[in-house]
Amino acid sequence: MSIPFQLNGRPVSFDGPEDAPLLWVVREHFGLTGSKFGCGIGMCGACTMHVDGAPIRTCVLAVGNVRGRAIRTIEGVAADADNAVRKAWNDLDVPQCGYCQSGMIMTATALLAETPAPTDQDIDRWMTNLCRCATYVRIRQAIHAAAAARQHKS
Amino acid sequence: MGRRRFLEVAAAFGALLAVPLDPAVAARDGAAAEADIELTDWIFIDAQGGVTLGLCQPEVGQGSYTALPAILAEELDADWPAVKVRWVMGRDAYKIQFRNEKPSQKEGASTSTTKFYARLRVAGAAARDVLVRAAAARWQVPVSDCATESGMVRNTRTGDTLPYGALAAEAARLPLSPAPRLKTPAEFRLIGKALPRRDTAAKTDGSAKYGLDAEVPGMLNAAIALSPTIGGWLVRINNEAEIRQQPGVRAIVRLDDGVIVVAERYWQALRAVQMLDATFSPGENGGLSTELIDRLAESGLDAEIGVTALARGDAPRILGQNPDQVIESRFSVPHLAHAAMEPMNATVHVQPDRVDVWGSIQSTDASVAVISKISGVAEEKVHLHIGFLGGSFGGKIAPDFVAQAVRAAMAVGRPVKLIRTREMDIQHDHFRPNNKGRLRAVVDRDGYPVAVHARVCGQSLFATTRPNWLTKTPLGDYDESMVDGIYNQSYEIPHFHVDVIQTPLPIPVYFMRSVGSSAGVLFWESFITDLAHKAGIDQYQYRRHLLRNNPAALKVLDAVAAAASWDTPPPAGTVRGISFDTYHGRGGSFVTYVAEIVELVRKGDSWRVARVFCAIDAGLVVNHNTFIAQIQGGIGFSLTSALKSEITFNRGGAEQSNFADYPLLSIGEMPEVVPIVVESDRPPQGVGEIMVAPLAPAISQALLHATGRRPDRMPFRAEVFKASA
Repeated sequence: MSIPFQLNGRPVSFDGPEDAPLLWVVREHFGLTGSKFGCGIGMCGACTMHVDGAPIRTCVLAVGNVRGRAIRTIEGVAADADNAVRKAWNDLDVPQCGYCQSGMIMTATALLAETPAPTDQDIDRWMTNLCRCATYVRIRQAIHAAAAARQHKS
Repeated sequence: MGRRRFLEVAAAFGALLAVPLDPAVAARDGAAAEADIELTDWIFIDAQGGVTLGLCQPEVGQGSYTALPAILAEELDADWPAVKVRWVMGRDAYKIQFRNEKPSQKEGASTSTTKFYARLRVAGAAARDVLVRAAAARWQVPVSDCATESGMVRNTRTGDTLPYGALAAEAARLPLSPAPRLKTPAEFRLIGKALPRRDTAAKTDGSAKYGLDAEVPGMLNAAIALSPTIGGWLVRINNEAEIRQQPGVRAIVRLDDGVIVVAERYWQALRAVQMLDATFSPGENGGLSTELIDRLAESGLDAEIGVTALARGDAPRILGQNPDQVIESRFSVPHLAHAAMEPMNATVHVQPDRVDVWGSIQSTDASVAVISKISGVAEEKVHLHIGFLGGSFGGKIAPDFVAQAVRAAMAVGRPVKLIRTREMDIQHDHFRPNNKGRLRAVVDRDGYPVAVHARVCGQSLFATTRPNWLTKTPLGDYDESMVDGIYNQSYEIPHFHVDVIQTPLPIPVYFMRSVGSSAGVLFWESFITDLAHKAGIDQYQYRRHLLRNNPAALKVLDAVAAAASWDTPPPAGTVRGISFDTYHGRGGSFVTYVAEIVELVRKGDSWRVARVFCAIDAGLVVNHNTFIAQIQGGIGFSLTSALKSEITFNRGGAEQSNFADYPLLSIGEMPEVVPIVVESDRPPQGVGEIMVAPLAPAISQALLHATGRRPDRMPFRAEVFKASA
């Protein structure tokens, strides 16, 4: 049975079982490999995508749940040249190994959509993604920088 | 041709190259593509004039992808923003040597920049030199009339320019100079600056390719289940027919110690492997437990005699004669897992006359040897394709996951990508070994140590992984990594005895960022804390006194104290701890000095690590941007171990398996980090591991001030941070 949804603004359809995890459907069937596999239990956040704008851990999300919904991945965010989060990430050279950073950017983008000027406490609460290189100092700086850039613009 | 000429030149620079060079060894994969003109082993110029720089040290996050090409580009005077970087392998020029092992291409021990700095400068300068001579010949002017900048040669009299691409063919025919002129530091445009990373954009738009992202036509995907006990073996699969019927499943591959399920898609393999019902024999280690491991190490601490690693003066006698005055402390650290964010994986394509492997691999040549052995394909026909590594910290040096992927690919006769689940990645890691320490001292009237006996007991990393690295003594062999940061520490101790007792264990262990010093420096610096505390002397001044004849060490210690305003008492609700380490690179490859100050701030009824000052003298800093990043991230990495990480064993296997029971630091727990770069005239020394070890003892010292108790066992759980009422 076919499961239609939007992937980075494009209508797509998955012909396969409802319980296939969205992460692997996007990586293996649609070839977008920017979202990563880290823990398989929804803890580390390397697989984070937006489902109707909300940051979701997709390694544990069955694709049947996103029928008709809008999925956005890091590739979709990167296509938006105006994305202040990604720009701040680049300006501050946040990544080290970089493996968790797609998920970090997805979560941070959703945070700023919800809370345009987050405090450090807001960041601590939202950014539960894990980074083994511990790039957290620059992640925090980048979120504040992106928030400032967005406010300056609006 | 270019390569052979460079080897001749390089041979003339034998002093700079630790590696014996053998021009007869064929390049394994032809680092140069067909269309490239090769100027040295590292520098390739294509028909359109594009400059490609070779990178032989994998990018695991540390910044090798930027810093190493920058050294080449500096001496070459390349157009830095325009150059390309390409993974290269298979040549002697790319090999390094640790201790007495044979030279090989690999990465580790914080040595990428240290070992390649001189080599890359010579390679860049030699290429620049032939380009200049080619231009001079073209213009028929003396070489002294030619200057270089941003990928072109300029005629300083006429102002004419020629891009490197237009000169490459002629330059490649000229003999390389045996002694090209190197730049003076004043001429540097890249080295010593804060260069943006070259891999950032790809790592923020999803396009950076890791091992996980390898895609080979016709590829199948595999998941693995390994014996829950160390050394256990597969007896039978109880539901094989059921597994075979699962959607997408193509094959079940039996290993001695596990089962690989191969399917069309990875999630199908994953699902099938989770349904697997297999019986394993526990083997002879079924009784292994942390309780047993601890008892073994504890009894070693009190053994009559250990294998002596250092005997200066007559410490045992002095301690024996003054039993009432002996100050003693004991410490303990557990096994740890590397837990890089990218789980171990490899994609293997075996053909009759070649094997291709894509993967997150830190040890290039060791993996090639394993792949060749299993596949029966000659080493020179094994091609590794290494992209970015999603972290490693030493964990992706051990090639067992590569070997498993090769077996799967051979069994099904198609390319296979094997990805370990997080559970397999942690439970079947090669762990940082456990260790216990007992330190005993007699002090003088002022409270400074006269005689110290340090003993470390635990599982030996070298005995398990590198037996030929053990140091031989008449009383047996010892593993210097077990006493790193102790036997080679910098304080003045008149009588100093260090010995080691190994407790052999069947547990697979491996190098992990900062290796033995992550235990040794905790033991040593915590003990110094105890001595200073007993003497009633300020912790900074106590260390200053012990380093009074070591100006290089004092410079770093003083730098961190100044940055943290140590001499000004902290505000109420803040306590500090200070620590110091001289990090000796493996086999004497480098010396880096590091000092840290931790500030704990009281929040409610608990103390929290709020700020960390870290001063490092690692000689010349090639890229300040990634140097600072290593300090920031290394502190967070170390804090994870200090607060959270512990692998325990029960019934013969590791008990932890994912981030729920092997948690990582979160952003809310990350302290502010103040990096202090102490510059010196020395060439680049190691950086990546150096900031890790001193953090835990600085925290434990601060806790002593805060709570009156100094924890002696890692990790420091939440209860030791509870404020006293």
